[in-house]
Amino acid sequence: MTAPQIRAARTAIPSLTARARDVLAFEWTKLHSVRSTYWSLLIAAVFAIGYSAIAALVYATTPRPKAAAGAPINPLSVSFAGLLYAVLAVGVLGVLSFSSEYATGLIRTTFTAVPRRLAVLAAKAAIAGTASLIAGELLSFGSFFLAQAILSGHHRGISLSHHGVPGAVLAAGFLLFVCAMAGLGLGAIIRHTASAVAALFGLIYVPAILYISLPSPWNARIGRFTLTIAGTQVVALHPHKGLFSPALSMLVIITWTAATLLAAALLITRRDT
Amino acid sequence: MIEVDQLAKRFGPVTAVDGLSFAVRPGHVTGFLGPNGAGKTTTMRIILGLDAPTSGTAFVGGRRYQDIIRPLREAGSLLDANAVHGGRTAWWHLLSIAQSNGIGRRRVTELLELTGLDAVAGRRIKGFSLGMKQRLGIAAALLGDPPVLIFDEPANGLDAEGVHWIRQLFKSLAAEGRTVFVSSHLMSEMALTADHLIIVGRGKLLADTSTDRFTKASARGDVLVRSPQAGELAALAAARGAAVTAQDDGGLAVTGLDGPAIAGLAAAHDIAVHELVPRHASLEQAYLDLTGDSTDYRAGKPAGQGTAG
Repeated sequence: MTAPQIRAARTAIPSLTARARDVLAFEWTKLHSVRSTYWSLLIAAVFAIGYSAIAALVYATTPRPKAAAGAPINPLSVSFAGLLYAVLAVGVLGVLSFSSEYATGLIRTTFTAVPRRLAVLAAKAAIAGTASLIAGELLSFGSFFLAQAILSGHHRGISLSHHGVPGAVLAAGFLLFVCAMAGLGLGAIIRHTASAVAALFGLIYVPAILYISLPSPWNARIGRFTLTIAGTQVVALHPHKGLFSPALSMLVIITWTAATLLAAALLITRRDT
Repeated sequence: MIEVDQLAKRFGPVTAVDGLSFAVRPGHVTGFLGPNGAGKTTTMRIILGLDAPTSGTAFVGGRRYQDIIRPLREAGSLLDANAVHGGRTAWWHLLSIAQSNGIGRRRVTELLELTGLDAVAGRRIKGFSLGMKQRLGIAAALLGDPPVLIFDEPANGLDAEGVHWIRQLFKSLAAEGRTVFVSSHLMSEMALTADHLIIVGRGKLLADTSTDRFTKASARGDVLVRSPQAGELAALAAARGAAVTAQDDGGLAVTGLDGPAIAGLAAAHDIAVHELVPRHASLEQAYLDLTGDSTDYRAGKPAGQGTAG
């Protein structure tokens, strides 16, 4: 049973890149070998593409529509209608990365295989992050082109070359990545799938509800600090005057994400498993 | 080699491990015995760097486990065979663990064969019996071909054939010069598997001894004698310093004199003996006597949480 090649390898200290490659391969294999990954991505795709297509059809056939919050709907925002729901599905992908391991106890295998817990967090973030960023950009551009294909038939579309549009479409895809990272952090912090998903739901949708229900200008003054309202600002064709600039709003988004991951890092390195 | 020194772990008011010190040496199967809640699992988790000790140290191969690079090549472990993602196949489960420590696919295939799981490698783990999961967990522990192996209650849920298989495996691993540390709450199981015993109760060390020595020390017993002249024989035995207790059925339980001595005594006085049976206290009984005090609390106060095993 003694495998000579392993005996020989034990004496050599592997390089940092080799160890990083090991942990990344570990997390990548775990991500692609369970069905929940494909379900979350499929649900994200159905929401993003499907809902955006429906919204585009409604917009194309309705004269001068207005959103519930009073903000004017434009051909760009119509393209992103489904992304507000897709973010939750991608966020769940991030949550499960940790919470499914805590739920099954597999986290102990993971931490005995890789006792550097920050390396585990970093690898999970890199793998889930890459997957969600690719999925996010594909869905964002996919929703945009589909919506514009529907709208252009009614001569109400907007071109990708229009000022501010490419940045907004890229930012929309980036928001899916952000939610996956927030989900990952919450999964590590809370450890229970259902509770972490509930927390993610709150993080994403409570700001939107507050924004609609609070009186102006307080809704904008408070809302601009939230992940969701800052998110709407970075994908807007005409940024809202009462909120932070798109650049500052991006900073708000990154701060939320970083804070969640930082809290996760502090907790997983200090807690018993 | 595993070295534990003055190890303590408290969970709030509950002391799960209370100043444990012992060493587990290579080339032996060392049984880690104790009633449920004695702190065995907690000790193993601390050794593996999963839980932080309140005080004391635990070293594997002279280092803290969490300081070892690619630790699966230094120490393999199985704490809970059910701690797997049911939706993943055995192949992907093992491959992911192998990759984490830079171990190749060939080794995964080897272990699937060794544990007899090669035929089900492509199946999702949720369809596995507990016995199959135990084998899968053992395969994962052996991936890195490690000199140290740590198993928490590995025989739980195995059928007779599985128990036999695991016993032979542990013995062959120890024969290869590896350190094999196996916990159990069953003395009967450890008596057959382990050649050294570390017995704990309520987080404290009760015994650290070879299985042989423990067996001999616990083999105190008595001799059951039946004779038509029981009263006479009892008096003679008592005069030789033996303690004699009359049984309800007329037999005599004699301690302090062995079988041949009693037979000789009877023959010298022309006393007929119908039955002469040396009786040994079982190993199980000796173990229960040793750990008895440490399990008493279970009847009264509730046991501590999260410290099972």
